[in-house]
Parts: sequence; C-alpha cells; structure tokens
Amino acid sequence: MINVSHLTKSYGERTVVDDLSFELAGGRITGFVGPNGAGKSTTMRMMVGLARPDTGTVTFGGSNYAELRDPARAVGVVLDARAMHPGRSARNHLRAMAAISSLPSARVDSVLHLVGLETAADQRVGGFSLGMRQRLAIAGALLGDPDVLMLDEPANGLDPNGIRWLRTMLTDFAHAGGTVFVSSHFIAELATFAHDLVVVGNGRLITAEPLIATLDRDRSRSLEDILVDLTSDAARYTAA
Amino acid sequence: MNTTTLLRPPSSPSPIGRDLRAAIRSEWIKLGSIRATPIFVGLSIAIGVAMSLILGAIVKTDPYDHLPFTIGNTFLVSSWLTTLFAVVAGTLLFTSEVQHGTLASALTSRPSKPIIIGAKVCIAAVLGFVMGTLGIVGGLSGGLASGMATGDMSGAGSGVGWALVLTTLAPVLGLGVGLIVRHSAAAVTSVLVWALAVENLVRGMAPASVSRLLPFTAANGLLGTRSAADTPETLAAVFSSVGNAAVIGCWAVAAVAIGTALLIRQDS
Repeated sequence: MINVSHLTKSYGERTVVDDLSFELAGGRITGFVGPNGAGKSTTMRMMVGLARPDTGTVTFGGSNYAELRDPARAVGVVLDARAMHPGRSARNHLRAMAAISSLPSARVDSVLHLVGLETAADQRVGGFSLGMRQRLAIAGALLGDPDVLMLDEPANGLDPNGIRWLRTMLTDFAHAGGTVFVSSHFIAELATFAHDLVVVGNGRLITAEPLIATLDRDRSRSLEDILVDLTSDAARYTAA
Repeated sequence: MNTTTLLRPPSSPSPIGRDLRAAIRSEWIKLGSIRATPIFVGLSIAIGVAMSLILGAIVKTDPYDHLPFTIGNTFLVSSWLTTLFAVVAGTLLFTSEVQHGTLASALTSRPSKPIIIGAKVCIAAVLGFVMGTLGIVGGLSGGLASGMATGDMSGAGSGVGWALVLTTLAPVLGLGVGLIVRHSAAAVTSVLVWALAVENLVRGMAPASVSRLLPFTAANGLLGTRSAADTPETLAAVFSSVGNAAVIGCWAVAAVAIGTALLIRQDS
C-alpha cells in the first residue's frame, strides 16, 4: 500500500500541491489525471524524494522512499523520458542504472528485450526518437523487477503498437500483484486499463475513486468529457 | 517481481559502504561511456607532448634566467594546463548530469545525495590522477623527442608526486564548482576566467600573503612554475609543497562541501 497523506508544496507564493491525500493499492492501476500545471509531476517527484514536501508524508509499505533498502527493486520510476545523456548508448545508460542499484548486469539485456530495444542497445541515445527514449526509460524502471511502477506520461511519443505494448505490460504487471501509478493525458486509453483514478486540479484533490465510479457520474458521456468537466475550474495555466 | 519487497521492513539500513561502491561503479560506467572522457584524456597527453616540444625545440631557454630548458625542468610544466582541464572535467561530472536530467534518475535509484557526491569525488580524483599521469608521460616524451638534455632529474620523483596530488585534487575542485554553479557553460567559464584572469589580477593588486592562498597560484607553487604576473615578492612568499597542496585541498573540500550543502537544500 502506498499512502500519500496531506502533501503540500509551494514554490514561493505559488502552491503547487495543496493538502493532497490518496492511497494506491497493490494489484491495481491508478490513473493520475488533471490539467497541465495541476501538480501531478510535482506530486510524483515528492513521492520518490526528488522534491521535499512542505508538509505531508508519502509511505511505501510504511516506509518513506529514502528508507527503502533497495528503492529500484521496490519502485520503478519514469518521470522524464528525455533524462538521458545523448552521447551514451542505451546499454550503458541501463548499465549505469543497474550498477547504482546493485542489480545484476544481466538484467540490462533482459529489459532491453522486454521493451523491444535489443537491436538499438549499442546506439547512442541522442539518435533515438521520443518513442524509443520512452521505451528505454521504461526499461530503466523495470531493471529492478519492482513491485511498483510510477510513470509520468509514459505514452508520449509512443506509436500505436507501443501504446498497445505499454497497456498490455502494465495490465500484466498489475495482474501479477504490482502497483501502477500512471499519469496520462490520453484519457481514452487510460479508460481501457485503469482500475482507479486520482484527479487533481490546482494542486488539490478533486476525486480519488474507482474508474467505474467516475464513469457512473454520467454513463452517457465519455470519461474524457467527465474529467474535463471535473477539472474545468482548475484549468488555469501560469508560468512557473 | 517480489511482492513482499515493500513489506520487508528496513530493519537494517542499507550499508553506506555497499551503496558508495555501487554508486562508484555507476559513475565509472558513466565516465567511460561518453566521448568527452577520451577527449580529456587525449588532451592531457597532447598538452604534455606539445608543451615540451615547444619549450625544447622552439623556445629553448628560460626567459627569466636564460638557462637552457632541460627535461628535468620542463616535463612538469604542462601539468598546470592539465590541471586546468582537469578542473573543467570535474565541473562537467556534475553539470552534465543536471543538463541532461540524469541526476534525478541517479537519486531515485540511490536517494542519498551525499553518496552520489561521494562517488563523484572518488571518480573525479581517479580521472585527475589519470590525466596527470598521462600529462607527465606526454611531457617526458615530448622532451625526449625535442632533443632536450636530461638535466637535473634529482627532484623528479617528488615533483611527479606533487604534480599528481595537484591533478588529483583539480577535478574535485571542479566538481565543487559544478555543484555550486550547476550549469555547464557557466561553470566552465567561471573556472577559466578565475584561472586565467581573476588570479592574475589579484596577484597584481593584493599582497603576496593573500595571493598565495589562491588555488591556481598554489598550483604554480606546487609545480615550481611561475606566471608572467609573478614578482620577486610573490615568488618569495610561495608556500612549501605541503602548504600549496593544503591550499588546493582546502579549496576543493570547501567547494564540494558548499556544493553538497546547496544540493541537499534544493529539490532535484
């Protein structure tokens, strides 16, 4: 169980995340949705210790992220698919990630095969398309064979085959008992495989409920329409 | 997937030694897998060879005492430039991670900034040692190729030792600068401006007792070299080798400490 409790984060006078609380259960896929600037990425960064919350806690099975003995074996994270050195090959990118997590180097070839990048393994990341970078980022998240996957817009740049592969991979992951927390703007796609939704706007929780409950709000409308209505008051775009 | 991983309580904290070794292995892979590394290493050799060749085959005599250059008094001269490049390499060890966003992935894998920085310090020191060694080898090779006389090599052993101390500390200082400035171009520019302009200005304006506390001035003292800005007063005030090494070490430690403190305070 992942517990997010009363998270708040401000940058200067701007409150980016405001008293956010929700839980993520094992064996389920939770979609994290909201307009741009709603605080989704900041929330995810706080969950994995990259940003320090002003108040609130995040626990993974009762421990915060920094206390996990082997974070990579517990939580696989994709926050930014562009976060790669362009001069490094895909294989060396993953080798460096495996090394810092004390993971066997054999996992590198395994995950490269899993994401379909085995033939591009020794090519420099600088020549990769966005979709290939997304696959490589997901490969990095899978290196530790984690119990939890946290993905910030993993479908960006993926072609239809890639999106289908991602959906199947995440569904299988959850069926095996893993926890998936995925933010996405592809609402129609999310509707086909998510079990639960956490909807945020202006940094605040709008709703956290099973997907079915969200759809039950108005069965005559699509999930996308329902979510746009839920978040319409919160869709204000300001520069950081 | 081990579904009990999360449920396993962190009864014993992950050993720091194990984490540091893992982080060092990762940094080593990172260092060895980018094109900039062989470029810096190659530059070290090239500078050593080139400077010795120039001094031995073209300049031939010391402009200050008018004595002919020998291998003994020139093979370490290039180490000052090697030091400068080593500082630049050290800054890039951190700033390139910030620039490409890879620092965040390192921190999610190993959420301990001191461990990550500790690993980078170790790798920076190794890189500096390698660059220094190759620069010295280049200096010797260039000296031999230029046909210079061997000269007095009695101080070569200690000279090499202190030169390697310098080039080992240099990238650590650069890492500290990178931690503080966090932007590749700004950090590299800062280093170059400081080394080539600021310190010369300070040497020209401040008392020798102050200017000898500057890192690149101490580097000159450690190598037994002098710059055009040096005066009899500044040369007389030079610290001993131990003192000069301590000056550079203090700058490196202070820069890394300040940079680490800033990094811990900031979100990644």
